[in-house]
Amino acid sequence: MSAQAQAPTAGNGAPPISAHFVNNVLAAAASYIDDDPDLARDVLAELGQFLSYLLRDDRGAVAVSQELAHTATYLRLQQARFPGRITTDLPAPEALAATRVAPGAIQGPIAEALGRRLRERAGACALTVRPAQGGLEVELAGEDGAPAERLAIALGDVSEATA
Amino acid sequence: MSGLRVLAVDDEPRALIDVQRLLESSPRVGYVDTAGGGREALVKLGQGSYDALFLDVRMPEIEGLELARLLRRFDDPPGVVFLTGHADAAVEAFEVQALDFLVKPVTRERLDAALGRIEAWRSRRAGAPAAPAPSAPEVVALDNPTGAGKRLVRLETISYVDADGDYARIHAADGDFVLRAPLSQLEEDWGSAGFARVHRAHLVNLNHAIELRSQPNGTAVLSMRDGTEIPVARRTVAALRRRLKA
Repeated sequence: MSAQAQAPTAGNGAPPISAHFVNNVLAAAASYIDDDPDLARDVLAELGQFLSYLLRDDRGAVAVSQELAHTATYLRLQQARFPGRITTDLPAPEALAATRVAPGAIQGPIAEALGRRLRERAGACALTVRPAQGGLEVELAGEDGAPAERLAIALGDVSEATA
Repeated sequence: MSGLRVLAVDDEPRALIDVQRLLESSPRVGYVDTAGGGREALVKLGQGSYDALFLDVRMPEIEGLELARLLRRFDDPPGVVFLTGHADAAVEAFEVQALDFLVKPVTRERLDAALGRIEAWRSRRAGAPAAPAPSAPEVVALDNPTGAGKRLVRLETISYVDADGDYARIHAADGDFVLRAPLSQLEEDWGSAGFARVHRAHLVNLNHAIELRSQPNGTAVLSMRDGTEIPVARRTVAALRRRLKA
């Protein structure tokens, strides 16, 4: 399965925040308080970073490295919710062209694909993100033997598009 | 063993641990079992007896709402409380007669209120006749008059309902709402919770009534806690007076 995700433009503002996601991350953080307080604190700190990025005053284009870091934060929060169920492989920021993208350009499509996967299928899954022509290629493979889901994320330079 | 027997079901392992710990710390709860999904829950429900099911809404394999519907086939089903991050799913939850709907992460106070509802529900069932009349829902999903989606409203907070064409206009502590339903239907559905039809156009929650005043023409006026005065039809005055004295 392959799909093309359109990156949101800077003019769209920040992507919406899912209350479901936030609530479940908070529930996961609460569960760590007794048996791993440091991890509970880390989860809360990362949730703070995640929300700060989405709620910041300047909602204009960001460096692709920032968006990639935001995506990594999102994935760590998902791993805290589902320990042992999600493995990730993200490219190094320097492997990507130095473009500016809309906030959520990478995290949004990945969240949609991963969220659907977690909702619809049990078991572990592996998320791999690789640089590709004009953006990123995302592969989401499960241990259930079903064909991997592939997603192309177009990352046009928002600063050029809006100039 | 005293205390409620609870089965908590969630595909999110950490959220399950959190609610398990909360439940185990409650003096109302005597035993907590867990299941990581709908199928495991069904197996446990078939093997054991539980007073309550704390159920996530969205899960792979069998969703919480589907599981709640399956419970209707049980002779003595547990009371269902949904515990989820999906606040939007609350409307569907109450369509399957859930006793409560909690959004994760839940506070101990809110959890205790839900457990109190389960205890009350179990007590009512234990004292009920073999073929009980259908009980009123504890919470109802009502439409926002502005068209901005649905809102969950506790039945006990509704003061009175006015007929408005094909709609019922509902006056509750949280505001006014509408529902596409005839008053006769609401009277039937909510009657056991203290609602009575006092007029062709008015259904009132008698728990909110404070005074019944007779009028010279044989009708009456029912004063509500919020100061509203509801006209009472002549033919219902006597029955209403008897009911209020009872």
